[in-house]
Amino acid sequence: MALAVPALLLALWELCARLALVSPRYFPPPTQIGWVLIDRFAEGDLGANTLVTVTRLAAAFALAAVPAVPLGLLMGVARPVRDVVEPYITFIFPVPKITLLPFLLIILGVGEPAFVLTGATSAFFQIVISTLAGVQTMDPRLLEVGRNYGAHGPRLFWKIIVPAALPAIFTGLRLGLGLALVALVAVEFIAAKSGLGHLVYRHWQMLSTPEMYAAFALVGALGLLLTRGLRALQARMLAWQEDVGQL
Amino acid sequence: MKTLGRWLAEHGIAVGSPIVTLCVWEWASATGVLREAFFPRPSTVLAHLVQLGADGTLWAHTAKSLIRIGWAFALSAVFGVGVGLAMGVWRRLRDGLDPVFAVIYPIPSVLFLPLVSFLVPPGEIALVVTTAVTSFFLVAFTTTHGVRQIDRLVVEAAVHYGARGPRLFAAVLLPGALPYIFTGLRLGLGFALIVVVAVEIVSASTGLGALLWLSWGILKVEDMYATFFVIALLGAVLSYGLAALRARLLPWVQDVGAR
Repeated sequence: MALAVPALLLALWELCARLALVSPRYFPPPTQIGWVLIDRFAEGDLGANTLVTVTRLAAAFALAAVPAVPLGLLMGVARPVRDVVEPYITFIFPVPKITLLPFLLIILGVGEPAFVLTGATSAFFQIVISTLAGVQTMDPRLLEVGRNYGAHGPRLFWKIIVPAALPAIFTGLRLGLGLALVALVAVEFIAAKSGLGHLVYRHWQMLSTPEMYAAFALVGALGLLLTRGLRALQARMLAWQEDVGQL
Repeated sequence: MKTLGRWLAEHGIAVGSPIVTLCVWEWASATGVLREAFFPRPSTVLAHLVQLGADGTLWAHTAKSLIRIGWAFALSAVFGVGVGLAMGVWRRLRDGLDPVFAVIYPIPSVLFLPLVSFLVPPGEIALVVTTAVTSFFLVAFTTTHGVRQIDRLVVEAAVHYGARGPRLFAAVLLPGALPYIFTGLRLGLGFALIVVVAVEIVSASTGLGALLWLSWGILKVEDMYATFFVIALLGAVLSYGLAALRARLLPWVQDVGAR
């Protein structure tokens, strides 16, 4: 049932393209796109470019998450740290991270570090903010109970604060990964010479539309896999937490 | 005076830390610790900002971006709330569209530019429609969610008292979903800014994104920083200003924190 509507839409598209109701040059029939997808994947260039995007994504995500989670936790427990850092976070968080790309391009030169860092900053701020929110919104009774039972310092931190903030951290990581993918694909579209985003751009310019849609579909599949997969993982790992963030 | 002192004690670090950073940056660029070619002095950037503002360039580009954001936001608000309400009410529609949306939503909006430019006349219209795509999904999602979380009892009571069709919509479903719709609109507006800048970088000669990209192309680093500052300011106004505005105008509408 759930797949009926997408299937119907695809069938309609196929029919319109085959009957030339829409221009097959711009909207090639889905079956043709499917064949191109399989062909190109076997041939290597789609697969290779997917791998490039995934590698960049992994690097960007790691670069963002490793400093962001400790920073968010630190901001949550140490008021002075939060006071110092928060103005920068609030100022830069709503800025489209793609605007950092030209700066990174002149400072680092055109290349992988600039691309990956743009993706990383996109995820970084989201993860810091979610982690901080996780510490700030934890039930104060948990802290009191912990203190009453003699937990102080590092023990209180590791046994009470971190577990309490864990669901929010996970949500932050999930949202961050999604944002990193969005930023990276946009960067590839604009400036890189490889990756799925670049494939869409190149085939748009060459008007080889079946290849363009094939790359487009792969980006969608990648996004779906990441968001759905991580949400399922979160529901499984943090089963005691009912609210795992709707958005 | 006393309140000022208290305010300073409360926010002193938060205000002081950016000022200290700017001073250190100024000093480092002036003495050559930072390369001035990459990190121009804040005072130089400010001078360029003033100059760009005085000769009108900045205003023209900002106005262009704002108009695009406005149209895209209007499009995504109208269609997003409409589709969202319908999806919230009709289960079949929701079940049918959910998988379609789930695949399309995570695709970065810039990628829609080729597709949209096949569908509508390229140029300004294609830019606006592309900008609206992600915001539309956000608004539709949050509205659907908003309708679904309305207390069933309320809806049933309204139906019992004879509210049907448009009345049920206007008197029960819309107000019930309002807090969520507002969250969706706020997030949608933020995303419209993000996407418009990206789209302008790719394929426009006007707008803040284009100004930033063109300044990069001719290595006018100071203008890049000045443009960046304006974009950041716009982002802050759009996201925090809107939240403050809502709190003031519609104090009864709770913002359902999305993060």
